[in-house]
Amino acid sequence: MGMLVATDVTKTYRSGVRANDGVSIDVAGGEVFGLLGPNGAGKTTLVSQILGLAKPDAGSITIDDVDVVRRPEIARRWCSYQPQAAAPVDGLSAREAVELVGRIRGGEASKVRRRAGELLSALDLGDVADRPVPMSGGMARLTGFCMAAVVPGRVVVLDEPTNDVDPLRRRALWELIRNLADDGAAVLLVTHNVIEAERCVDRLAIVAGGRVLAAGTPAPLKAQLGAPLRLECTLEPDAASPELPEGLVAAGLAGRRLVAHVQASGVAAAVAWARRAQEDGIVAEFALTPASLEDVYASWVTTEGAA
Amino acid sequence: MSRDGVRTWLLLLRWQLLRNRKLLVTLVLVQIALGVGMIYGFGFLVPHITPEVAVFFATGAPTLGMLIIGLTVVPQETALARVNGRFSYVAALPVPRLAPMCADVTFWLLVQLPGWVATLLLAVVHFNLHLHVDALVIPAVVLVSLSAAAVGYGVAVMFPPGATQQVSSFMSIALLLFSPINFPLDRLPGWLQDVHRALPVTYMADLVRGGLTGRYDVNRALAFAVVGGYCALGLLVAGWAARRRS
Repeated sequence: MGMLVATDVTKTYRSGVRANDGVSIDVAGGEVFGLLGPNGAGKTTLVSQILGLAKPDAGSITIDDVDVVRRPEIARRWCSYQPQAAAPVDGLSAREAVELVGRIRGGEASKVRRRAGELLSALDLGDVADRPVPMSGGMARLTGFCMAAVVPGRVVVLDEPTNDVDPLRRRALWELIRNLADDGAAVLLVTHNVIEAERCVDRLAIVAGGRVLAAGTPAPLKAQLGAPLRLECTLEPDAASPELPEGLVAAGLAGRRLVAHVQASGVAAAVAWARRAQEDGIVAEFALTPASLEDVYASWVTTEGAA
Repeated sequence: MSRDGVRTWLLLLRWQLLRNRKLLVTLVLVQIALGVGMIYGFGFLVPHITPEVAVFFATGAPTLGMLIIGLTVVPQETALARVNGRFSYVAALPVPRLAPMCADVTFWLLVQLPGWVATLLLAVVHFNLHLHVDALVIPAVVLVSLSAAAVGYGVAVMFPPGATQQVSSFMSIALLLFSPINFPLDRLPGWLQDVHRALPVTYMADLVRGGLTGRYDVNRALAFAVVGGYCALGLLVAGWAARRRS
């Protein structure tokens, strides 16, 4: 049984919008669990219920076997949280904000100070951490992460932690998220950043329309695609969308970016087709890569949207 | 309040002090200026100020200040915190539900304190007022501040932020014009006197006035009982509102 278990959680707002419709997830200690889904999928509503800020209409949520729907004060003690919006750090320096939350979460002053310093240094914020000036979006978000990680709960909920963060710091951030799980926390990671999340999550659930569409470890989910590889082509600016040969299944066309699924047996034919299209001035460049979580995500969410 | 509760309250107060540090001196100076202005300004409103009237002016200022903190500043700050996300962020932390409200009240009391001292000292000099400060003024200040803040906080949590601004503005105008804080109860029409005998404002003003001058106009025990009762009721309602989940 996981550290965080949500079973058949259903939540309908007064407006009539059903934000969660029988959502079940199970996150073990030491695991990073990705909650992936488009805007309005019901991810943040689920988070609010886990944190005891909202109450489900039906279903149960337990943390370490304690019913936190009935005892929301336990959820607040055992969960640390980075909100989707920037953490409220106005007027504070990053270090002050992180240390204050660490103390409020019950940390000892000296340990909190040391841990805050480590986190801020790891994210390369040491030089700016003591300035109580308005923060950029990325810096406020990194500070929000440190506020959640300074005295981590048994469950750490991170809602879009990488938004607005530059690539180098994002890399450090993923490492710190991984470390939280390695230290024993159950990390619930809500994100749109499917490509980067793939490097960090142990298991994931894809949600849309308030329901869990698919859940599991990345490998079986990718296997469900039926094609282990993807051919990604960037079309020439004025080129029309080309017709694909047999064995290539179009997975999407966004602007000039064409993605197709490729079977292992069709690799040679796919590369040959792409080379020809390049010589004919249709394709500017192409790459053959293993299928990713993004493909899984796109296939489920697109299917749901079409349903 | 438990030891953890006190610790959290002090940490949240520290949060308030840090986030407002750039404005702190200005806020304190504005409060002093308001107090000084009130003492001089009332002189223009009422040309011949008797010692009796002076007592009401000077001791009414702190009471009015506490009520305005609770009924106007706390709800407006809470409404703003709901809009900018600070409210739900703090609500997700392991803090007693009313600790943020207590920290807000304490912060604004600290901001107002120098203004009260300046007002009273000026009144002593200007109106030849004799103060006799009693230790009971401390529980009086705590009860008055918490009662008002509980009402303001409850309003801010239950009403949408836009409506909170309107309701809190209405409450402060009603207080300024129709409450016997800066003037005796018998100045009001009979029916309004009856209303105020059932409301806590008269008793609040009397407790603070008594604590500063040693002279109570109504029974002191009754005043503490009424204000204490309203305070308990207000905290119960505010606590219920703060624990509500959407």
